[in-house]
Amino acid sequence: MREKILYVLGIAALAILAWNINTIARLPEETQQGVTFKIIFFHVPMWAVAITAACAALLASVGFLVTKNFRFDAAAVAVTEVGLAFTTVGLVTGSIWGREIWGIWWTWDARLTSALVCWLLYAGYLMLRKAIEEPTQRATFAAVFSIFAFLDVPIVVFSIKWWRTQHPQPVFWAGGSFPPDWTMHLMWNMAAMLLLGVVMVAVRWRQEEAQREIDSLRRMAHAL
Amino acid sequence: MHLISLVAQLVSDAERLQHQYEFLSYGLTAAWVILVIYVLMLVARERKLKREIASLRAMLEEKKG
Repeated sequence: MREKILYVLGIAALAILAWNINTIARLPEETQQGVTFKIIFFHVPMWAVAITAACAALLASVGFLVTKNFRFDAAAVAVTEVGLAFTTVGLVTGSIWGREIWGIWWTWDARLTSALVCWLLYAGYLMLRKAIEEPTQRATFAAVFSIFAFLDVPIVVFSIKWWRTQHPQPVFWAGGSFPPDWTMHLMWNMAAMLLLGVVMVAVRWRQEEAQREIDSLRRMAHAL
Repeated sequence: MHLISLVAQLVSDAERLQHQYEFLSYGLTAAWVILVIYVLMLVARERKLKREIASLRAMLEEKKG
């Protein structure tokens, strides 16, 4: 039943994306950046999912430290891994967009650097988990590391407000202008990506629980 | 003369548009390729875990029997 729900949600997300991409393709060119600007319809939703995943990872990690319930630990791994995939897409699409608009693939400004640090921290989180064998110790260390890694997230979000950066100011919360119908398409893409992210997290979460089952079966096999 | 400059303008606009579409397609392709690779990794891991659980259960049954 759970599997069927996941399939339905995944198909719904892909259907929304397919319909929306078709509509976005027909939108007129942006006056300054032309059609390249349409990367925004993927770049921003990817980051929105990545930031949401980082917030969820923080909550799950705090949840584990408070309750010592391993379901929270499994949730933290799932959202972190999926969030990392979306962060990768956000960084890559941003770099391609920057190459066309700024003429450079990368610059060490506060937004881009903090975003890369964010990627490295969450990749480090996953590597840390692989390095520790004992489950309780692994979950505790990983939860503490995840809370520490989250400190970078507000820096990523607000860096464009705090410092002068090559990355432009936010369109939505700094007085920028965005046509209402474009906003609607961006929101649809964001909803579809979020749905896709939820499906991926659910699948990954289940895998983490299957891994725990394997560990307990191994212990039983050793005991016999 | 006017016609030549008009044609030159049209050609330059077409080149600019082609260049922009090129970068847009790079961006979209990169986004989907990364997500598809991740989904394939999830599918491969799912299969591996199912195989592992099945073989461990079979081993336990054998030991108990």
